[in-house]
Amino acid sequence: MPTEKIADQTFEEIPVAEEPVEEKYFTFGKFKLKQKMIWSVGGGLAGLLIVLLILASLLKKPSVSPKQAQPATPTPTPFEEEITSPSIYATDSAILKIEADLKTIDQDIQSTDLKEVGLNPPVLDMEVEFEE
Amino acid sequence: MKRFLPIFGFVVLFSIAILLNCYIATYAQEFDFNRAYDDYIYTYSQYRVAHSEYVSAKQAYLNYKTLTSKTEAQDKTLKMLEWRDEVIKTYLTALRLKLAETTGISNYEQNVLYLKLDSEVSWYIKHHDALSSAGSLEDLIDSAEESQSKYQETEVLIYQALGTILSGKETALRQRLNQQMESLKNKIAEIREKGDKKTTVAERWLLEAENRLTRSLEKQSAAQQILTKIKPYDSNKNQSYNQAQFALEESHQYLKEANLNLRELIREVKSAD
Repeated sequence: MPTEKIADQTFEEIPVAEEPVEEKYFTFGKFKLKQKMIWSVGGGLAGLLIVLLILASLLKKPSVSPKQAQPATPTPTPFEEEITSPSIYATDSAILKIEADLKTIDQDIQSTDLKEVGLNPPVLDMEVEFEE
Repeated sequence: MKRFLPIFGFVVLFSIAILLNCYIATYAQEFDFNRAYDDYIYTYSQYRVAHSEYVSAKQAYLNYKTLTSKTEAQDKTLKMLEWRDEVIKTYLTALRLKLAETTGISNYEQNVLYLKLDSEVSWYIKHHDALSSAGSLEDLIDSAEESQSKYQETEVLIYQALGTILSGKETALRQRLNQQMESLKNKIAEIREKGDKKTTVAERWLLEAENRLTRSLEKQSAAQQILTKIKPYDSNKNQSYNQAQFALEESHQYLKEANLNLRELIREVKSAD
């Protein structure tokens, strides 16, 4: 058998006949779109969406806990706030004394117990009967 | 050693005497409302125990009608009635001490109520002592009826005393506010004379505060009226007392507003025109 001739043969150089790649298409009514193009556009859009979501979560304001979200209880106008344009009586000793006294009275008014529940009369069984 | 024994004994006796004296002095000093109230709470808990025992003994007697169950019922009824008198007595004592501690009550009003309360306490002490002399269950039932009828009068006094305590608190606060109002009036008059600051707004606000104090007094008087109308045979004494209490709460609201007005007034005076 002529084996030498076989050894010289280079199989790599043999031109391989390329099979024609069949392009796949999606059809939407009249339009005919390449499947590859749809995948690349869809992937791009999904990537953009993910990036947008990440950005949105980063830029979002810190969430408020339900406890903080509760409406604040109304408080009376604070009188202690600084007076921007004081009169000559702003440092008057008599006025300051009355102011301090009124503050003390206010505290006493707030803490006054007008119910005195503990002093309600005892519940007693006043009827002693031995009849059915 | 033996000769030191009498000295040692004397020192021990002397120390005991001093300690006893201190204890008595402390007890006498500390018999205030809080102590009286604790006594009342303790007595009330004892009454509740005695009452539940009485209910059981009564049920047993009604079921079996035996002499043993009747004797048991008599014992438990006596015990319950004794504790009931004791509860009323300690409660009235606590009320008396609360009256003594409350400012804003006139001396006359206080003394009248003291006399009435003392008289009630004496009645319940006598009644309590008489209970033990009851010879039968029937005697005890009669004695309990006396107490039941007396308690209707006592209740009127209780509600009036309670109303006086609450009114006293209001009066004391209003007196303090009136004092401050007078001081402010004088100060504003002084400023007006000097002419270095406009006083029109301050004077108007002063009138507003004054009106609030008047309304507060009116509501307090209305509460007193309700309390004086309570009669021993009224079945809804508690309801009348609640109405009076509500009127006093309204009076208190006016005091709050008057105080707020005066504080705003101060701020006005402290601010430049």
